[in-house]
Amino acid sequence: MAFTMLSGDVIAQIISLTTPQDACTMSSVSTNCRSIADSDQVWSNFLPPGCENLIPQISPKKSLYRYLCDHPVPIDGRNMSLSLDKKSGKKCFMLGARDLTIAWGDDRRYWRWMATPESRFDEVARLQYVWWFHIIGRIETFMLSSGTNYAAYFVFRFDGQGDGFNWPVKSHVCIDSDELDEGRSVTLDPGGGEARAIRERADGWMEIEMGEFHNENGDDGTLVCSLREVVRPKSGLIVEGIELRPKETR
Amino acid sequence: MRYLALPLLSQNLTESTARAQTLSLYLQLSLQVSLSQRNESTMSSSSSSLPSCPKKVVTLKSSEGETFEIEEIAALQSKTLENMIDENCADTPIPLPNIKGKILAKVVEYCNKHAEVGVDAESLRAWDAEFVNVENTTVFDYILAANFLEIPTLLDLTCQSVADMIKGKTPAEIEKTFNIKSAFTPEEEEQVRRENQWAFE
Repeated sequence: MAFTMLSGDVIAQIISLTTPQDACTMSSVSTNCRSIADSDQVWSNFLPPGCENLIPQISPKKSLYRYLCDHPVPIDGRNMSLSLDKKSGKKCFMLGARDLTIAWGDDRRYWRWMATPESRFDEVARLQYVWWFHIIGRIETFMLSSGTNYAAYFVFRFDGQGDGFNWPVKSHVCIDSDELDEGRSVTLDPGGGEARAIRERADGWMEIEMGEFHNENGDDGTLVCSLREVVRPKSGLIVEGIELRPKETR
Repeated sequence: MRYLALPLLSQNLTESTARAQTLSLYLQLSLQVSLSQRNESTMSSSSSSLPSCPKKVVTLKSSEGETFEIEEIAALQSKTLENMIDENCADTPIPLPNIKGKILAKVVEYCNKHAEVGVDAESLRAWDAEFVNVENTTVFDYILAANFLEIPTLLDLTCQSVADMIKGKTPAEIEKTFNIKSAFTPEEEEQVRRENQWAFE
């Protein structure tokens, strides 16, 4: 019994159990494999549930998958975007600055809101100065892909006059009701050796990991990601948002 | 009883056609059996006999004619066999002309194992892993049998096993593992590779 004698349906089922990369590899194997590996039957499987018809104008599903990996799409009613992790097809979300709860965010003395072409959102938040620095992002765990280990990243940059961020900021990524979460300390503007924790992103912003969360079934309620430092004065920070994307467990 | 002319089932049949033909053959056969039994009973005198106890065993016949017995409870894992049992077509040996004896024996073993009670999930997983730890070509035979007999758990297990053989391989490695001839020209191959480059960046 040869592989090539298996029916198209069965081969499609087998390819659906591999990964998007493997499906692209199978496409290069033979003409027959190519038509099966490129089929909607396979790629509907790689798209997260509910995303198969996200953009009806884009067809076939393989093209939709590729599009969603490279082009975050806005989510109705929220200042939030959705994209896909290329390797796994899991959902990635960015909570824009307007979607976050920023203490004193409405007070022009402390924070200003502005449009910038470098942002995927309508507005970013610029810190004038503040002592009470407290930013919270919330997302319902049912929105996240199940069976996935996520990390939250604070996406930001300095406008050249950033000050006061060379001290650690307390970061938490945990379920709303979890009062025992220890959190971690992150430094947004470290000198020297710690700078490796700050990463420059492909979209030109900087990011630092805030923490991790494992989403099993999406029934844990609200995930809360927060940064807090209320002791020292700070200024010159520009906030794009908080991104959640899959992180491989080591 | 009249004999039905057995249709020649060639190897080139698709699985669904073969399945439909087998099912239709058995429905016809069992209709013949029940008709002749009814004829016999109306012709007999007042002897009323109790109905016999329902058979607990189903007999399967491989492509070479070898027979294998499987307990009804294990056979229920196959949707195809379950339908036949429900329709009372399973009283005579069921020929499975697409499945060789060697493979059918293993499929029966699989169904028996999965019908056992009191097996913990961990050891069943280990047993399953051993079951598919065989030559590729044998796994493909299992897939065909599982597909034909509609055994979802076996189909999932075998498809996953092949998927695991594919993961992480290059096209050349896949062609070698599964003995597939590319049939692309070098230009076509290069074009397809470029089209799919995005997934690896």
